[in-house]
Parts: sequence; C-alpha cells; structure tokens
Amino acid sequence: MHISDGVLPLSVTLGSYAAGALVTAWSARRIHSRDLPKVAVVTSAFFVASLVHIPFGPTSAHLLLPGLAGALLGPAAFVSIGLGLLLQSILFQFGGITALGANAVMMGVPAVICGWFFQQFKGSTRLRQAIAGGLAGALGTALAAIFLAALLVTGGEDFFGVAKIALAVHVPVIVIEGVVSGFTIGFLARVKPALLQSSFQDAAGSVHD
Amino acid sequence: MGTIIGDMPIFCVRNLCYAYPDGIQALSGVDLDIFSGDRIALVGQNGSGKTTLVKLLSGLLAPGQGDVLYKGKSLDGEHLNNSRLNIGLLFQDPDDQLFGHTVIDDVAFGPRNQGKSGKAAALCAKQALHRVNLEKLAYKEPHNLSYGQKKRAALAGILAMEPEVLILDEPTGNLDPGQEAVFLDLLKAFDGTLICISHDLIFLYELCQKAVVLHHGSIHHNYTMRELVSQRSALRDHGLDFSFRMTIPAIEMPAHEENGKNGCGALSDADAGALNNPSGPLPLVRLENYGYVYPDGTPGLQDLFLHIHEGEKTALVGENGAGKSTLLACLCGLRQGSGDLFFKGTRMTRKRHKDLWRRAGLVFQDCADQLFCASVKEEMIFGLRRLGLSTDECRHRAAAALARVGLAGFEKRVPLHLSGGERKRLALGCVLAMDPDLLILDEPTAGLDPRGEEQLMAILETFDKTLLLVSHDLFFIEKLTHRTLVMHQGRVIRDLPTPVFMQDDKLCRFNGLSFSYRQRTATAIRQLQHEHEHRHPHLHIHDHTHRHGRTVHAHPHEHLHDHPHRFVHTHPGGTKTHDHAHRLVHDHDHPGHEAEPHDHSHE
Amino acid sequence: MLLGRFMTDLQYIQVPLWYLPLLVLIPAAVAAGVVSWLGRRARTRVVPENDPDWSVPPLTQGRGQGTSLIHRWDVRCKILTMLAYSFAVASLRHLDAAALAVLFSLAVLMVARVSFHKVMLRLAALAGFMGMLLVVMPLTVPNHPGDTIVVFGSLDWLGVNVRGGILAATIAAKATAIALLMEPLLSTAPLPMTLYGLSRLGVPDMAGQMVLLSYRYLHVFTHEARRMTAGMQARGFAKKTNMDTLRALANFLGMLFVRSFERTERVFDAMQARGYKGRFPDPGQLQLRLSDIFIAGIWVAAGTGLVFFDWLKG
Repeated sequence: MHISDGVLPLSVTLGSYAAGALVTAWSARRIHSRDLPKVAVVTSAFFVASLVHIPFGPTSAHLLLPGLAGALLGPAAFVSIGLGLLLQSILFQFGGITALGANAVMMGVPAVICGWFFQQFKGSTRLRQAIAGGLAGALGTALAAIFLAALLVTGGEDFFGVAKIALAVHVPVIVIEGVVSGFTIGFLARVKPALLQSSFQDAAGSVHD
Repeated sequence: MGTIIGDMPIFCVRNLCYAYPDGIQALSGVDLDIFSGDRIALVGQNGSGKTTLVKLLSGLLAPGQGDVLYKGKSLDGEHLNNSRLNIGLLFQDPDDQLFGHTVIDDVAFGPRNQGKSGKAAALCAKQALHRVNLEKLAYKEPHNLSYGQKKRAALAGILAMEPEVLILDEPTGNLDPGQEAVFLDLLKAFDGTLICISHDLIFLYELCQKAVVLHHGSIHHNYTMRELVSQRSALRDHGLDFSFRMTIPAIEMPAHEENGKNGCGALSDADAGALNNPSGPLPLVRLENYGYVYPDGTPGLQDLFLHIHEGEKTALVGENGAGKSTLLACLCGLRQGSGDLFFKGTRMTRKRHKDLWRRAGLVFQDCADQLFCASVKEEMIFGLRRLGLSTDECRHRAAAALARVGLAGFEKRVPLHLSGGERKRLALGCVLAMDPDLLILDEPTAGLDPRGEEQLMAILETFDKTLLLVSHDLFFIEKLTHRTLVMHQGRVIRDLPTPVFMQDDKLCRFNGLSFSYRQRTATAIRQLQHEHEHRHPHLHIHDHTHRHGRTVHAHPHEHLHDHPHRFVHTHPGGTKTHDHAHRLVHDHDHPGHEAEPHDHSHE
Repeated sequence: MLLGRFMTDLQYIQVPLWYLPLLVLIPAAVAAGVVSWLGRRARTRVVPENDPDWSVPPLTQGRGQGTSLIHRWDVRCKILTMLAYSFAVASLRHLDAAALAVLFSLAVLMVARVSFHKVMLRLAALAGFMGMLLVVMPLTVPNHPGDTIVVFGSLDWLGVNVRGGILAATIAAKATAIALLMEPLLSTAPLPMTLYGLSRLGVPDMAGQMVLLSYRYLHVFTHEARRMTAGMQARGFAKKTNMDTLRALANFLGMLFVRSFERTERVFDAMQARGYKGRFPDPGQLQLRLSDIFIAGIWVAAGTGLVFFDWLKG
C-alpha cells in the first residue's frame, strides 16, 4: 500500500524526502556509475513483477517485493525501489508525488535490510537459500508494514485506527510474500545462482572499457 | 582512424581464445582476416561461438588470449571508444537496441555520441529513418511499432552512424518473407564491410560472398559462399546441411504460368470444398462467423468460417500482423472472440472456452515464454497435473513424451540451460504429453539451426493427430501439411491444398508473402549442388589404419583413384558434358577402401 | 472505549437505524461501482489482453501536440512551481481550503486541455486508499470534546465521528487536488523534456535517464510477462488460493528476473556498441521567458493564498 498525497504532516514528508535522498546517495555510491542503466532496466522487471496479483480467498493481493529486491540487488535495491515508486507515482498515481520520499523510505530501507539479512544467512545449500529468501521476503513486507504504520502515526492520535488496520491488512501479505520469495529464490538458486550474488556491486565483470 | 593502406585487413584476429567466467570455452585458436568491403557469412551450429566472436570483434568482450586488431591496433582504451563509433552491431532482438524514448531519440543516440550537435544528429537520424522507410514513425515510442518496424528502426540507429563495418546477429529472425526481402534490400545497399550471423543459408547466399564456418569455437572453413553451399558433406559435418530443404518439387520447376492457372482452378474448388461441406464427418474444429476485436477497437479477426477435420494437417500462412497468432490464441482458449467455435461438434461457451487448453496444445514461437520450471521433469509434470492425472500416470506420460522428442534421461536438467533445439523439443514434449486433439505450432523453426530443424521435423513427421502449423517456412509447410490457409488482415482469404499453394507463385507473392527470392536462390543453390555419377581419376585423402611391413598406423594420406562415384559439384556452364579435372581432390564416401591394398611413401 | 470519557462534551445526533443503509451502504456501493467501472473502462481502453493490471498509459504522444498556456510554459518553471504548490496543498488542514485547491486544479485542467480519460484513471487509482480512509477514519478517530457523533438507532457502538469524516475528506480533497495537477505537469511536455528540466534544476542527469530507461523497458517486460502468462494458461494454469499457484507464480517471477537480467546485459552491450560511455546526450535547449515567470507568479500567489486562508481558519 502506498501513501497518498496529503496524508502525512508536511514536516514528515519533507523529512522523509531528505532521508530518502541521503539513502539514495549512499545506495548510488555502492553501484558502479556505468551500471546505473542496468539498474534502471532491472527496475522495470520488478515493477512488472509487483503488478502480479495473487489470489487470496475472494480478493487478491499484489506483491510488494522489497525482500526479493533486496536479496537480488543488495544496496542497489534502494535506488531501484525509489525509481520504481517514482514511476508508479507518475504513471499510475499509486502513491503521491509529495509522499514519494516517505514511500521510498518505507519500502527501500526494509529492502536494504533484507538484502543484508539474505547475504548473511543464505549459506550455500539451495534449501537454505530458499529459506533465507522466504524469511527475507516476509521480513521485508513486515518491516514495510511497520514503517507504514509508524509514518501514519506521525499524523497524530487520529491516525492510530488507520495504522492498526494497515498493519492488519498486511498480515496475509507477509505470509504470501514470504512463501513466494522463498520459492523464487529456490528457483533462481537452481536455474541461475549468479543472480543471488546481489548484482551491480562489484561492477567490473567481464566488460572492459 | 587511419586510412587503410594497401591490403591490410580491417580486422585481424590472431590465435583468439575466449572462455566465459563460468569456464565454458567459447573460442579457441581463431585466426581470421577480414578485409574492407568483405561480406562475410558467419555460420555454425547453435553454441559454436559465433555470437562470442562477434562480441569480441565489436569490443564488447576482451580477448582472453590472442589479439583482435581493428585497423592494425588492438581494441582497447581510446582506440576502442573510437572504433565503436565505426563498428555497427545489430542485435537479434530489436528491443535490446531500441532503448530510446522515441524512435528518433534512439536513432540519434549514436550520432550524438559521435559528437554531433543535437540538430545535426536529428538530421542524420531523419535521413537514416528515411532509408529504412520509417520517417513517418519518427516520434512514436518504440513499443508502438510492429516487430518488423522495430527491426528496421534498430538498423536505422546503426546506419545513422555511417559505420564502416556492419555486424548483424540473425537479422531475419521472426520476420515474415516480405519484410525479410525488404531487409535484404537494405543490407545489399550497404556498401561497407558486412559480417552476418545467420542459419538461413539462402538469405546469406544472397547477401554474402565469403563464408566462415565455426565449429566448437574454432574456424573450420573459410572460403567463398558458393563453395560452402556446394559442398554438402562439409555442410553436413557442421550441422548446417539445409539441403534437405532443397528436395521440394515446387522449387524445381520454373514453369510458373501454367501452374498459376492450375492453381486458380484448384483454388476455387478447394474453397467450395472446404467451406460448404456440411455432410461428411464432424469436423474437429468449426468456426462460424468468428471474429475478434481487441479491446482498443482494432479488429483482430473477421468473418471466419473454418473447418478443420480430425487428422488434418493444416498450414496457416500470412504476413506478420495478419491475425495468425490471434486465431491460435482463440483456438486454445487464451482469448475469446465473437461468433461460434465448435470443438468436436460441441459449442464452446464461455465456460467451456476456459477448458480448451485440454484439447488444443500450443507450442509457442519463443520457448522462453513456455518453459518456466527449474527442471525438465517439473516442466513436463506442470501441465499433466492440471489435467488431474495421478502421479504414476504423470510420470509415465512424461517419460513417454520425453522419449518421443529424444530427450530421455534429461529429467534432472534445467530447461534454461538446454540448447535452443533441445528447448524447442522440450516445449513440444510438454504439449505432446498432454495428448491434445489439436497440436498447434507457432513458427516452430524460429531460431533453430538446420540440425535442430531436422530433428524437429523427424518428430513431427510421426505425429498422427490434427496439426495446425503457422510458419513462414515453405519447406516445413510442404513436408508436414496437406492444406494451406492464407490469412490477410484478420481473414482467411485462401484455403487450398498445399501443393497448389506451393505452385502458385502469384499467391506466394500476394500480401507481402514474397517467397520468390527464396525460390530463385534455392534454384541457384540446387544447380551448385548438382550431383551425378561419373568416373575420372581423382585424389582421396584418407585416414585409416593400415600396415607398412611391421608397423600398423593411421594418418591422413593421399591416393589416386579411378572409379565411378557420386558427388555434388558445380556446373559452371550448365551443360551436360562437362569437365571435372579442375577439382582433383574429391570428397565422397569410399566404402571398402580399407581392405584395398595400397602403397605410399613415408617421409 | 473512549466514548465514555468524553461523553459530556460530545454532541450526539441520533438518527433512525434505517438511515444506516441510506447514508453508508448506498454511497459505498455507488462509489465502489463507479470506481470499478472506471477502472475496467480504463483498462479495456489501454490493454488488449485479459489480464488487466499490466496496463501502462502512455505519458506523451508525439511532440508539441498541445498549444495551451501550460504546454508552452518553461519546463523548469513548471516543475518547480507545481512541486512547491503541491507541497503547499499537502500542508493544508481545513476542508474548505482543500476544496478551493481542488477548484483551482480543475481550472488548471481546463486551461491545459489534457486528456480527461487519463485524469480519470489517476483518480480511480486514488480511490482505493481514499475510500479506505473515508470508511475507517470516522469510525476510529478518538472522540474529542466538541465532536459530533452520529449514532444509528440503538447501535451505540457504531458512533460515526463527523470530525473523522471531515478529516478524511480533507485528505481526499488534497490528494485529488494534487493528483489532478499531475496530468498537466507530465503530459504537457514530452517526458524526456520534463526530465531534462529536472536535470537542469540540479537533479543528476542519470536519474532522468534511468526513469526513461525504466519506462521504456516496462513495456518490453509487460509483453514478456503477458506471453509467459499465456504460456502458463495454455497448459491449464489458473490462479487459485493454494500452494501450487504460489509455486507457479514464483517460477514465473524467477523466469521474469532471469530474462530481465539477461536482457539488461544485452541492452547495456547495445548501448556500449553505439558509443555509450557513461553519459547520455542532452535532449535540447531551454529558454526562460518573462511569461514563464509571470505564470509561475500566479501559481505562487495561489499557493500562498491557500496557505494563508488555511492559517486564518486556525
């Protein structure tokens, strides 16, 4: 769920813009500057992935994927998620332009944390990677929900109810996200393990300049 | 950027080796000289290292060992940056190349990098777009273009840079014959050095003079295109023998006029037969006044009346965008149009439509769209489980289907890591395992090398149920089908027996389906491959075990023979009486030779 | 509940129980209907496929197709002014000020003559979050002294706090006012031009280029995803709430990522092969005219006026 315009107090929107800019700068410095176009292209894949709806009883939920983005992209995940959210905002009006900073912090910081978590605990067997991926996926969504609730609460007592409901709504999503992330990481571990090395970090690769 | 002095090659490759980081040795010991103005066909099986070589030539990869010299200097540093602006590389998938926001932005990207101002670059871009006949679409976003247009836009992006060298990776993949002919003309008009990767020897024969054959990462032959296509056994060794395609009778005969007339007569008969045939057995598929309109209002299919009978083998041809894919999607339940679709006499209501996948199996053009599991076994089981079969039955059927497509023992392999031909056969196996009443193949030969095509053909020839084949490939159509439907602008405009379609040159040229240059070229190649038995003294080079006194050993050595034999050779004059003395070393089977006594000197 | 504590300071409006369906359910049903209709219409207009959510509305078509005041406005001025104005609107606290902002946005829409259809799409996207706020806030806002509570018949526990409703309505109005401006902001100049404007305002060049690249490949991956979905459906895949579906979707995502990373490498190769060395060429020149600053002045005045009006109300 994205925060729209006009929900958060002005100080919080501006503050989270500043925080978002700082983390973006940190994240961008962890990427080789020549690789930034690659991050952009990969971002569109995550964007498309996040539009996939997963049926849940009579309704459906769409994936948030901060955990998976963190696991696959590492620190670059923040830039990628910020870019994705900007596109969602300007293309679809999902999340307001003034709340972009808040949304980026809400989704991006959990992604970076999950990326770290995944790289720490992925181990070497496929099963372990899948489990670590699943945990990272669940953790990412859970953290995002907590960030969302925390941001809403800055609006004062009046928003407590909304925050609680937002948290409650995310519970099934956390489960789904965890399972899907686990399976996806398991699939990648089998099919293309190179992707689990958090891309774009050691940029040199095989391309010379 | 110096000028070329005398006979210095523009590319000079010496002892080039390259291994990918995962340890796969893609190239080893490649030596190659390419001269300015050469037109070189780079051929070889899938996985023989063609793309790697091309990437090395354009400086996208650095040699692991050996040298790649462009104009005498090795490709790195400042020289690489400058050279890139002179070496145009056209990728197989135009979407990889068109990364600009609009077509003109994209085409101007190269000229801007060459240091031209915004206006000058835009002018270059416009001229290049004019050359490929796309100036009207200059301000469109690339995703609004059709595939053929994208391909031409990508070419414009290269031509705008006025490159000295043009490197093409599968330039004709997925193009319909009409667009292919357009593309061929564009490339013929290019006057620089040209290096072209393709499996399509007919296309290459038209475009290139020289041929370089890569085999397992090293160069096996480096000679003229004419020599390459005329030597069947060499082609065969490299999995490139496309001459199995040349046995089409339709291509042999030049008597078009008479056949054209016959075609027209047969055409109306066939139309009448296929359309007004209420009696007889119940058709497997019957479309009554079927139509499909895209949600944005463009008509996809219109006024379709169509019967396909059980066991019938039907081809569906038409230019890109004629509505073939839409029809396929309707037939296997991916889309639902207006009008009636009957399957074995049952009308497909909205609800039954969702179950059409059980009866009609579709093999997609691009395997990557169809294969998404982590192992071959899972891939096979995926559809079977959805049919509601028991685990045992699933396993049994999967094993049978894998054996049928020649992939027995592949269960544990990862589909993504298989070769192109294996992936295609796996996709086919997945569909065959589900035992559909109707098998639909969408461009099955796209991206396959000739050996892959031959293997696929062998499987399909044994298929005995109803087949609907969408293809631009006349050979597959001829070989596999008895009936051809021609689609144009969402309608089936002709419904003929395949032999009639094959002979009707006018029809082939109709609606952008110009197969004519292919027929012309195929005839030319056939003449090059002329084969008959004759007798004259000739040399053989053999490698076999033999005895010299006490030593038994094997090594290549020459013999002079005089015995009758068959071999493929050219007839420059085309006359019946001809002289074979100019080719002394012959390349033909020599049964029983080892038993013959022979003698030769040993130095 | 908190209800008891402030009982004395609260103003109650007792309405008969049958008002409940009238006041809550019917508007909710109508709103849901309108939203889903809008959404469906919007999707069918844009996507030629049955899975609707991958629609990508085109931001700009062609170049310079509009001639309105907003179209001719210098893109740097436009971005700066509209962003500052958006923040001003977002800071409003009163419903009437927010409503004024909506009126102003509507006026801008009239001037800019942008596609009404696309504006509607944006509002439809907002509807979910806003609807949630409008339903949840009146029921969950703590009751303060002076609040008005509407109680339906004998259903004491279902006190609808009018203040909460107004709060939610204010947020919805602010969000609407800003969302209405997005279309004039973004579709009155080609996207590369807008992004170039941003880069001239000090945002790193690469950021704009990354937006363009993502936007471009969004379409490519959307098509890939669609074809893969078709591939799965052709073998009988249908989404259900079960483990098999999750596993299949995970494979789908995995393949999508594998293909996207592979494509990324190829795109990068193609860029390098055409001379990319870490920088993109600039798209064009920008020139600031007096009229640009004049229009910016009007906006700033409007924004300041709104904030001042809001401040006057306490």
